[in-house]
Amino acid sequence: MTTHAMVPPEARAMVGQQVGRTRGVVRRAEFQRWAAAVGDLNPVYFDADQARAHGYRDVVMPPLFLRCMGRAVAALTDLRPDGTVRDHEVAEVPLNCTQRMAGGETTEFHRPLYPGDTVTVVTTLTGITEKAGRSGPFVLVTWKVDYLDQHGALVAETVRSMIAK
Amino acid sequence: MTGRMPGQPRYADIAVGRTWPPRTVVPSTVQLFLFSAATGNPHRIHYDRTYAVEVEGHRDLVVHGPLMSALLAATLADWLGPAARLVRISLQNRASAYVDRPLRIEAAVTGKREDAGRKLIDLDVSVSRDDGVVCVPGTAVVRLPG
Repeated sequence: MTTHAMVPPEARAMVGQQVGRTRGVVRRAEFQRWAAAVGDLNPVYFDADQARAHGYRDVVMPPLFLRCMGRAVAALTDLRPDGTVRDHEVAEVPLNCTQRMAGGETTEFHRPLYPGDTVTVVTTLTGITEKAGRSGPFVLVTWKVDYLDQHGALVAETVRSMIAK
Repeated sequence: MTGRMPGQPRYADIAVGRTWPPRTVVPSTVQLFLFSAATGNPHRIHYDRTYAVEVEGHRDLVVHGPLMSALLAATLADWLGPAARLVRISLQNRASAYVDRPLRIEAAVTGKREDAGRKLIDLDVSVSRDDGVVCVPGTAVVRLPG
């Protein structure tokens, strides 16, 4: 064993635990601002009549806006020097690694979301695996994120991974 | 009568092997700024070029991974029409992309199936840089009107 294990015991102890639970309300202007920034002027996001003509009951939230739901508003004093937010919403996994990179993300959407819907975002740490890569050892961290509506129904679920070295 | 829009592809119209002419998008500094703002993302690599290059070693401002994913989903929605619904999307972040350089968005239909009355198509999707490096490979499942 090396003296600096990449995965300390306190990180392993988090596997299987719920590491975040936040809530947010779907706001029309917020998802429209996001869609405009993407350059996505899909009428079902902007025009309720068009949305209804395509089987929705109102303007619908762009599906990939989902990952913005439940994000806390960060104060300037909550930011690190690189601008990133010290995360209060999802407990950080304490690894002895200097680099963290987004891995992949798989989302299944069970129903559309509309302005006024409330979304509870429940994040569970599902795995920490040490692997041997071509450029040295790395750690694969995985989470499961459940998105629940105001009735407690599962509206979407995500599996997310991160690679740390 | 709802949902029968001219130009809306239907399940029967989409064959396995179908592709579309690749879509090119060139994210600008202004677009990166707006996406950072819309997602509440203050990371300096997306708007502070000096910081991105000198501190984090990037070659220029970095395009957000979620922006590439969103551009891909928007393109799919455009190709498959407003009545298409994204059922599942699975994307990997493989490489960074940089501001003011073309991104190439592609999709190919790999399968068709009916699942509990839903008419679904499976796609391979990707976002690539102009040097050919695939930044975001993945798959998607889209439900189409029958």
